[in-house]
Amino acid sequence: MTDYAVRITRLGYTYPDGTKALEGIDLDILPGERVAIVGPSGAGKSTLLLHLNGVLESTGSIRIMSSNLDSSNLQQIRKQVGLLFQDPNDQLFCPTVFEDVAFGPLNLSVPPGEIPRRVQKALADAGLDYSMRSRSSHHLSLGERRRVSLAAVLAMEPVILGMDEPTSNLDPRNRRHLINVISGLKATLIIATHDLELVLDVCSRTVLMDHGKIWADGETRAMLANAQLMEMHGLEVPLSLKAVGSG
Amino acid sequence: MRHSFIDRYSALDSPLHLLEPRSKLVAFTTLIIAVLCIPANKGILFFMYFFATAILMGISQVPLTFIMGRVLVILPFIVLATLAAPWRGFPGLAILFIRAILCLLLLILLTNTTRFIELLRGLRKLGCPEILVMNLSFLYRYLFVLTEEAMRMKQARDCRRVGRAPFREELKILSSMLGTLLIRSFERAERMYSAMLSRGFSGEFQVYSPRIFSWRDLTFLSGAALFVVMTFLIL
Repeated sequence: MTDYAVRITRLGYTYPDGTKALEGIDLDILPGERVAIVGPSGAGKSTLLLHLNGVLESTGSIRIMSSNLDSSNLQQIRKQVGLLFQDPNDQLFCPTVFEDVAFGPLNLSVPPGEIPRRVQKALADAGLDYSMRSRSSHHLSLGERRRVSLAAVLAMEPVILGMDEPTSNLDPRNRRHLINVISGLKATLIIATHDLELVLDVCSRTVLMDHGKIWADGETRAMLANAQLMEMHGLEVPLSLKAVGSG
Repeated sequence: MRHSFIDRYSALDSPLHLLEPRSKLVAFTTLIIAVLCIPANKGILFFMYFFATAILMGISQVPLTFIMGRVLVILPFIVLATLAAPWRGFPGLAILFIRAILCLLLLILLTNTTRFIELLRGLRKLGCPEILVMNLSFLYRYLFVLTEEAMRMKQARDCRRVGRAPFREELKILSSMLGTLLIRSFERAERMYSAMLSRGFSGEFQVYSPRIFSWRDLTFLSGAALFVVMTFLIL
């Protein structure tokens, strides 16, 4: 039997107000794969990500690296699955960059002597300098905040990394920088995004979600070039693919 | 957006700024308690403490106008609190007022010679319950986020209105803005908690804090202690 990084079976989730957010989701992801989740707003992309480490609980089953996610092994799973949230202000809650990046490793009982090294490495992996460790999050630009958030997740050395709209609201230079950083990561990546050029750059496989269900799952280029499918689900063929098609 | 209502002068490098936060916390708390303990009939002691505070203010390099501005902001509350005890008669009220002003000056001095983050660290190292320190740090962190959110809402309101609405209308708009802000903060708190859980939070705060305590701190602490003991020996 193949060992999956993530194996989701018949996952369903209903919001407390009765709205169905996810319905019958089946999704298998292999270690090292880079999967994009695309779909219109409200399709359930973020909700799906929040299930990967058990922040949200619902019907169906989730296996992470060959262990079933349940309340007994939540801590173990959260060590393996990192989540990057859309708004860095939600993710950076400590007074300084250092404390934010150290928050995860400290919870994982990393020995205190090793904390500075971990923080330094995570900041470097996210393309940041160690000298910014004593700065306050509210004095950082959005691009920096997004990267510090990424560093805070990388500091836990996750094998699976879920990201929610990593490039939203970034200016072109910061966006490019972040894409380069993401491309260099070794973890299994699951990226929920509207940025289809990012998807073309980074992910070989794409999953299309709409109304809480999966409508298509396959090779990125082929799917994103399918104009009919894209338009049916409120998306659009990326410009770079259109240019190839017409030229 | 930059904010200057907190930590505006706490990054200077006067001798007072360079002290370890713990020694400052202990020394200033001692001074404040001493001020509260001065017997009402020993007017000379009030002068001595006022003099000591003035010296500290001088050392701190925090502009006097800034300190006075802060005092003015709190003054109404002190006046109210003083007037709430009219049975004390005139000298009693005056003493109460002076005591409050002295404590206030000391607190302003403490909070403006120590970065808020350092203050939190000091509290933590002194054994203040972690949950309390963490709450204060959230308060500090999200004060800025909330202020920005409020500013954006105000801008959006200003963009859509021409001139002033009648007072009642204004109040209505203001209250709905406050309501929205409350709901947004509530939602943010939930997302933030998810982010904490995602990074392995299990209900207990873990802290990393290397300790540095130097001769400077020892000098300052013993100086403050000596002063307090001396003033009370004079009695």
